[in-house]
Amino acid sequence: MWTIIIIIVLAVLFIFIYYFNKLTVLENRIKNSLGQINVQLKRRADLIPNLIETVKGYAKHERKIIKEVTEARKALVQAKTIDKKIQANQQLESALKSIFALAEGYPDLKANQNFLELQRELTTTEDKIAYARQYYNDSILNYNNLCLTFPGKIFAVIIGKKPMKYVDIAPSEKEIPKVSFE
Amino acid sequence: MEKRLDFRDQIAKNKRNSFFLLLGIVIIFILLGYIIAQAISPERIFFILILSIIISISYVLIGYYNSDKIALSSVKAKPAPREKYPLYHDVVEGMCLASGLPKPKLYVMDSEDINAFATGRNPENSAICVTTGAIKKLDRRELEGVIAHEMSHIANYDIRYMTLTTTLVGMLAIFSELFLRSLWFGNRDRDGRQALFLILGIILAIISPIIVYLIQMAISRKREFAADASAVKFTRYPPGLIKALEKIKKETSSKKKEIPKAIAPLFFTNPFGKLDSTHPPIEERIKRLRRM
Repeated sequence: MWTIIIIIVLAVLFIFIYYFNKLTVLENRIKNSLGQINVQLKRRADLIPNLIETVKGYAKHERKIIKEVTEARKALVQAKTIDKKIQANQQLESALKSIFALAEGYPDLKANQNFLELQRELTTTEDKIAYARQYYNDSILNYNNLCLTFPGKIFAVIIGKKPMKYVDIAPSEKEIPKVSFE
Repeated sequence: MEKRLDFRDQIAKNKRNSFFLLLGIVIIFILLGYIIAQAISPERIFFILILSIIISISYVLIGYYNSDKIALSSVKAKPAPREKYPLYHDVVEGMCLASGLPKPKLYVMDSEDINAFATGRNPENSAICVTTGAIKKLDRRELEGVIAHEMSHIANYDIRYMTLTTTLVGMLAIFSELFLRSLWFGNRDRDGRQALFLILGIILAIISPIIVYLIQMAISRKREFAADASAVKFTRYPPGLIKALEKIKKETSSKKKEIPKAIAPLFFTNPFGKLDSTHPPIEERIKRLRRM
């Protein structure tokens, strides 16, 4: 009789440890990927002043667009929550698009090695932000699945882990990119 | 959730297969040792068997820790510094973020063809090698598709199994050949029993690499489809990979290959064209990607 009780207690204990570790691992993965997003956002913000300087050298009178970028960067640096940051980043992204469109009218700027380098770097950070966010949301999905399905739900409640919220994707990004196949 | 499980199954299967491959190689070596002993000098069988056990275990251990280096040096791959290949590094770093994998070591190999392969024994000790042609001819999205495909081989532990198979089997083939050649110079007057073992030895020497090569071909087709599918999971953008495949299809591949044949299954697309069946046809891969 006692052996049966001991076996049951041990089994429950092991399952508990299993779920506790699993939830912790998944939670750490989320934290880590959030860190990755922040690293990339910061890298992006750091590149902007350099870009502004370069653009100013060739297109000084394009004040409006330059101001737009500077302000979007400021909003990004000051944003505290991840949702705010992503939002500011999207604003920065559209401002940058106009800068790169503007460069079409300035052949010297477009050919500037420094400008080309910055353009490549900014595209890269944009990609990296998107991928880091994708991984972040995937990690949250895995975590939430464990938190919300049986029997993980029981342990999540006991341990006090709650499901997490996804980072929103801007409506413009949800559009499927147009591609033509020849 | 189901997809996640599939992924883990794949990893467990690759680890298991790698273990059995190594075990199989040890067994083949010991068998070969036994046959050689019978054929050459049956009175020293004990000594030869011990020797073949030592050789086989060190062969397998050295292979396990160095197969990536063997594969890389067999195609004369060189490390790719960041200053020289910024886009390559950027794209790989992006894919690392998308997959949550550590950054592999990056290499390039001189070739006008568009191709790439991944190698290593686990994600922490992995490497990706692309041809200089791929860097020159592919744009960012296309290169990203190719890299994502290679990163999924790393994530799945395909690299461990495939690198072990290609390098260890490749070297096994060389050893078998050496054994066959040594027989021509052996002494001629043998009794019937020794002749029988001689024939067995020859058969084994011919057949063993073929068998392993066949296994390798059978598995790598399925792996390529799986890697294409998880590549799309990383990039969320099938057209990148599709366009890269289309570019490869249009290429007239250069005639001269400095790639050992045994390494072919590691590559993104078969470097020897359509004749070999280590990879599914490009058309079929494009068709499946279009459906995603």
